[in-house]
Amino acid sequence: MPYVANTAEDQRAMLDSIGVKNIEELFASIPAELRLKRPLDIPPALSEMELTAHMAALAKKDAPAGEKICFLGAGSYDHFIPAVVDYVASRGEFYTSYTPYQPEASQGNLQVFFEYQTLITQLTGMDVSNASLYDGGSAAAEAVLMAISATGRHSRVVTAASVHPEYRQILATYLANLGIELVTVETPDGVISPETLAKVVNDQTACVLIQQPNFFGCLEPVEAIGKIAHEAGALFAVSVDPISLGLLKRPGDYGADIVVAEGQSLGSPMSFGGPYLGILACREQFVRRMPGRIAGETVDRRGKRCFVLTLQTREQHIRREKATSNICTNQGLFALRAAVYLAALGPQGLRETAELCLRRSHYAAEKLATDNGFERVFAAPTFKEFVVRAKGGDVEDMLVRASEAGYLAGIPLCMWYEDLADCFLVTVTERRTPEEIDGLVGCLNQVAAIHA
Amino acid sequence: MRNTRATQLLFELSKSGRRGVRLPAADVPEVPLADLLPTDALASAPPPLPELTEPELVRHFTNLSTQNMSVDTHFYPLGSCTMKHNPKRNERLANLPGIIDLHPYQPADTLQGLLELLWNLQEMLAEIAGLPAVSLQPAAGAQGEMAALLCAAAHFRKLGQQRTKVLAPDSAHGTNPASAKMAGFDTVTVKSTPAGYVDMADLESKLDLQTAVFMITNPNTLGMFDRQIAEIAKKVHEVGGLIYLDGANMNAILGIARPGDFGADMMHFNPHKTFSGPHGGGGPGAGPISVSKVLEPYLPVPVVVRDENGFHLEYDRPESIGRVRSFFGNVGVLVRAYCYIRTHGPDGLKRVSENAVLNANYLLSKVKHIFPVPQGDRCMHEFVASGAKLKNDRGVSAMDVAKRLLDYGYHAPTVYFPPIVREAMMIEPTETESKETLDAFAQTLFRISEEPADLLQEAPHTTSISRPDEVQAARQPIVAWSPKV
Ligand SMILES: Cc1ncc(COP(=O)(O)O)c(C=O)c1O
Repeated sequence: MPYVANTAEDQRAMLDSIGVKNIEELFASIPAELRLKRPLDIPPALSEMELTAHMAALAKKDAPAGEKICFLGAGSYDHFIPAVVDYVASRGEFYTSYTPYQPEASQGNLQVFFEYQTLITQLTGMDVSNASLYDGGSAAAEAVLMAISATGRHSRVVTAASVHPEYRQILATYLANLGIELVTVETPDGVISPETLAKVVNDQTACVLIQQPNFFGCLEPVEAIGKIAHEAGALFAVSVDPISLGLLKRPGDYGADIVVAEGQSLGSPMSFGGPYLGILACREQFVRRMPGRIAGETVDRRGKRCFVLTLQTREQHIRREKATSNICTNQGLFALRAAVYLAALGPQGLRETAELCLRRSHYAAEKLATDNGFERVFAAPTFKEFVVRAKGGDVEDMLVRASEAGYLAGIPLCMWYEDLADCFLVTVTERRTPEEIDGLVGCLNQVAAIHA
Repeated sequence: MRNTRATQLLFELSKSGRRGVRLPAADVPEVPLADLLPTDALASAPPPLPELTEPELVRHFTNLSTQNMSVDTHFYPLGSCTMKHNPKRNERLANLPGIIDLHPYQPADTLQGLLELLWNLQEMLAEIAGLPAVSLQPAAGAQGEMAALLCAAAHFRKLGQQRTKVLAPDSAHGTNPASAKMAGFDTVTVKSTPAGYVDMADLESKLDLQTAVFMITNPNTLGMFDRQIAEIAKKVHEVGGLIYLDGANMNAILGIARPGDFGADMMHFNPHKTFSGPHGGGGPGAGPISVSKVLEPYLPVPVVVRDENGFHLEYDRPESIGRVRSFFGNVGVLVRAYCYIRTHGPDGLKRVSENAVLNANYLLSKVKHIFPVPQGDRCMHEFVASGAKLKNDRGVSAMDVAKRLLDYGYHAPTVYFPPIVREAMMIEPTETESKETLDAFAQTLFRISEEPADLLQEAPHTTSISRPDEVQAARQPIVAWSPKV
């Protein structure tokens, strides 16, 4: 029992103080017939040394980024994490504390959340941000719920096939029992056609949710889309790649009402999909409809500036079923990571990171497309991801072969898009060097030659 | 030594031209930006983020960290949150590259180690719950509640039954009714008896054919095991409803009693509580759910399955509710839970609960003379003391006591929850605290109870700030910094 301090002697003294003979008596309220009458059928205890060896053996069966060169993306990215992020986040005072219910004992966390919120407003061009949600996908669903309550329109939500398929699946799950129709416009050209969109957005539409750059890496005609939403009185919600904002216009600058993002790119490891960071920011007028914790500035009794959790009457612990969301535990540690990351990069660092992604991914896309085996699928401009068609077919087999050769070359799209069954999505972050890109292209060419 | 003066914001420390990170050159043929992206998509300048060097960042955040109480530094008896020690080996092991540098869409053959771990975790949670089918996807307890309720809704839809109501006791955590609403149900509150148990007459009067689910926390939020649970489950099942077990309090019953054996059809775990995941200043958590065979087809996708070729993710489940979040789940938290369970084994887990219950009862025996514990002389892993008498006699509230505890170097208990106890102080010591710590804490509570009212009402006196003006914060919210004009 490595973490329990009670000795046999302590236990005896404690039982005496309580006035019972043994520990068993303390469980008297659990009726015997409801008890488990055997030990749990789980493996026996391991010492720290044994556990370490066991975990090392498991880890050896995996191929982490670094062992295989990672060109996978689609919402989870192999961006560089400066050491200062890990250092700060590994301070026990941060990672072993909890929700700052007692502000006097939590000024560290509260100030970090306030700084995080400010950084997110600077990044997105929105007025206000909350202190984190679970991940980009559930944040998108929360944004839609927020739009429904803000507009009072309970009948239709519009999104597009160019939004991350998993995000749309989450949205469908969240809306399943609320009697709200989810309309998804097709995007055969890899981006939303404003004409097509305009046909389904009506005066009952609560919200238009898009992604920029979209799931295929392409840039959407955001200004035209925002105009269509607003003319119908719907809110315009955008899911963004935070790194892209080093270069691209901020959603606040093209009329978005609610912005969500997967914040993993901002200094958190890929970790097989989580824990991540759900970013949600919006215009000031919706601040009281936001889900989740919000840190706010105030003064203490001596007039000193300080921070508290604020607008708590939105939340489940006060409003119960009338709350704006059920979220309680959030992703505080990942908001901290994002804050350190953004502050470490600063405006220039973020811009250079975005530029590196852009330049290297375009370099990769061009090199790949010059080979006969592959072609670019969409004409729209892209940021750090792009869709490639394997002319020789059997994408999955190609990707397996590439993986055997040491490259996680891309994500097959067959799982989500029937018409893109011979395509895959390639992502190039700033970590991928020109040599690695040349290696990928060489490898894919060889693999394609097998199929030709 | 603590530097309490270093409270300037990042933005106030910023100076144009400073940098914390430098990046390499692109080393690819130079192409004008305008050839790569349409100019109307480009921002005229990068976002106005602050500019600082690495040493400034390190000092800033390190100093901020010292303005927190935490489990590593303080006794943190925050009821319902199970603030136990966060094992350091778990941090090291969860950060192995072969565990953490994995992309969620990597092919299964490059993930066999992690998938094996996750599959085993599914099996172990099913065994601990006594409910055979597990989804590791939900990101926290609240999301687990919603996911399982959506499974229940799908189940009733399949049966062709219109069930619109979710019942929960008035002592339930706020997430219960909030999750029910998000899953599309109307919520109905069931009364508790003065001792904190479900009021059976009230429950029965509210059970009907529209009842989909009764959500119960057992041990409940007063830290009591409701021994009527089998009877409750029978009554709910008789009208065709299901039992949801809020597993936030599993730390009391590991290896002692299993929700599936005492009537639950579905439950969530809070691995960040029961299985020692660090709470991260608010998160991350995780909210895996265990459900009965009947509900299994509806679980979110994917789940980890094992066949003759090893482990893989199964997506093809036509009756699944879909997804509640992207990718697999909060894997980092799940890995720590796995390490925790493997460290303890069957006997170790049982001893965790025994010592958690022993510590709570011991502390109760010391505290009840100072602050009455309306529920009586026994509890499970936590108890709720009432400051009502102190409030009546001397005008000192539970909040005042909580604040004063901070001065003595203790984090406060959870106050004003559950809502059914006046001036509630919910105290959960956990099994990882020593008798000496509990003794000192009880002595401190006694000392506080004797202190002058005005001293308490002005507390805390030694923290980096005194009590904040929360009314002003809510009335005129300032939720982001802006430059002084
Ligand atoms: C009794 C109870 N139920 C549910 C929850 C919700 O869990 P989470 O915060 O992980 O969403 C909590 C914790 O905060 C709780 O204490």
